[in-house]
Amino acid sequence: MNLIDKYIAEVGKHLPRKNRADIEAEIRSTLEDMLEERKQAEGQTDDATVIELLKEYGAPRKVAESYSGPRYLIGPRIYPIFEMVTGIVLAVLFAIALAGLGIGLSRSGMSGPEFLKTVGESALGLIGGLITAFGNIVLAFAILERVLPAKEFEKETEDWSPAELASEPDPDRVSFGEQIFGIFFLALFLVVFNLYPGAIGIGFFTDNDWVFISPILTDAFFGYLPWLNVLALTEIVFGVYLLRQGLWNAGLRIVKIVLELAGIALAVVMLRGPALATLTREQLAGTPLEESARLFTTMGILIPALVLTIVIIVSSIEAAQMAYRLLKSRPSSPYPIAK
Amino acid sequence: MENDELVQNMLLELRRGVLSIAVLSQLGKEQYGYSLLKALSDQGMEIDQSTLYPLLRRLESQGLLQSDWRIVDEARPRRYYVISAQGKAVLSKLKREWSAMVATMTQMLS
Repeated sequence: MNLIDKYIAEVGKHLPRKNRADIEAEIRSTLEDMLEERKQAEGQTDDATVIELLKEYGAPRKVAESYSGPRYLIGPRIYPIFEMVTGIVLAVLFAIALAGLGIGLSRSGMSGPEFLKTVGESALGLIGGLITAFGNIVLAFAILERVLPAKEFEKETEDWSPAELASEPDPDRVSFGEQIFGIFFLALFLVVFNLYPGAIGIGFFTDNDWVFISPILTDAFFGYLPWLNVLALTEIVFGVYLLRQGLWNAGLRIVKIVLELAGIALAVVMLRGPALATLTREQLAGTPLEESARLFTTMGILIPALVLTIVIIVSSIEAAQMAYRLLKSRPSSPYPIAK
Repeated sequence: MENDELVQNMLLELRRGVLSIAVLSQLGKEQYGYSLLKALSDQGMEIDQSTLYPLLRRLESQGLLQSDWRIVDEARPRRYYVISAQGKAVLSKLKREWSAMVATMTQMLS
């Protein structure tokens, strides 16, 4: 095997299998043409001439690369979709882990070391889950990159019309309906729980009468009420400020995340603490519900727990959503925009 | 020094766009790779092998060239390239575009 053979074999190692033999033959033909030209000019050739010639032709890997062009695991045409899917999946996983942690921590009677152990296990589980999910997404997109015909994407860009922009929601714009709805219910919560706690109860129709059982909220609940009031008032003030601003920015998103986390923390504490509502056998005496008293006393414990669990899950999703938008938010533009 | 590098990179980009037209224009009669390389170089269009051969393959895959391996005059086997009918049609359009572009640029730079 002479130097030229070895050189061609080395280039071949880095060439795609499909065209390897053809490209190798062509390189050989060219090298021999070049060598012959040198022989005619110099009269003879030796190993030094061949070495010089090969050096001029280029490093084997570089020569091979010029034939294959850039190769991607996930190419530029599907990379934006990959980025979007990764963001969504990781945010959802994060929200689920946060909600799971909240529910895990809500078990009452947990000691300090147990508490730390639960947090540590959740964090490790989350890291493992995020890495696995990321790996799976990369694998799926790497397969798509190889099987999807390029035309699929061209069609989408050809069909695009600027009119579509009109229906595109602005992620930074504050949703007025959502804020007003939120403020209304927080205000309703403050009024009812502080001024008319007796209005919270269980009402139902018997044969002809409306029966209402109250109070059902325990002292434990009223112990938490000042904290709930502070949180609700802060949310209302923040909501009004958001309405005035009209646009989310990084600072407002951080405040929102802090508020959501505070809500989650309070919900966890309330879940771990004593019962928030009771429905005793005595309260049910003389009503048609007396027969199923056991069921209703259990419900008195279960319903607040269910509500708090939903609060933890929803707040976790909102916090994760805010964190995702915060990370994705655009840097401030030098282009002056009138707000 | 920094400007030299910038100019070199820009020239490289400029030449890359022109090379397809240069190669198509020289393949009215068939040529093998090395003879084409010499023909281009003799006319002042220097191009190295690692650029020319991949370009030839791309033009062939686009249907603008045809090629086959042959032994001519008892020499070693060589791959001969020639412009295809589609290549001729494309080249004629490219020539018109090129002339228009040169005229525009000449006017802009004058």
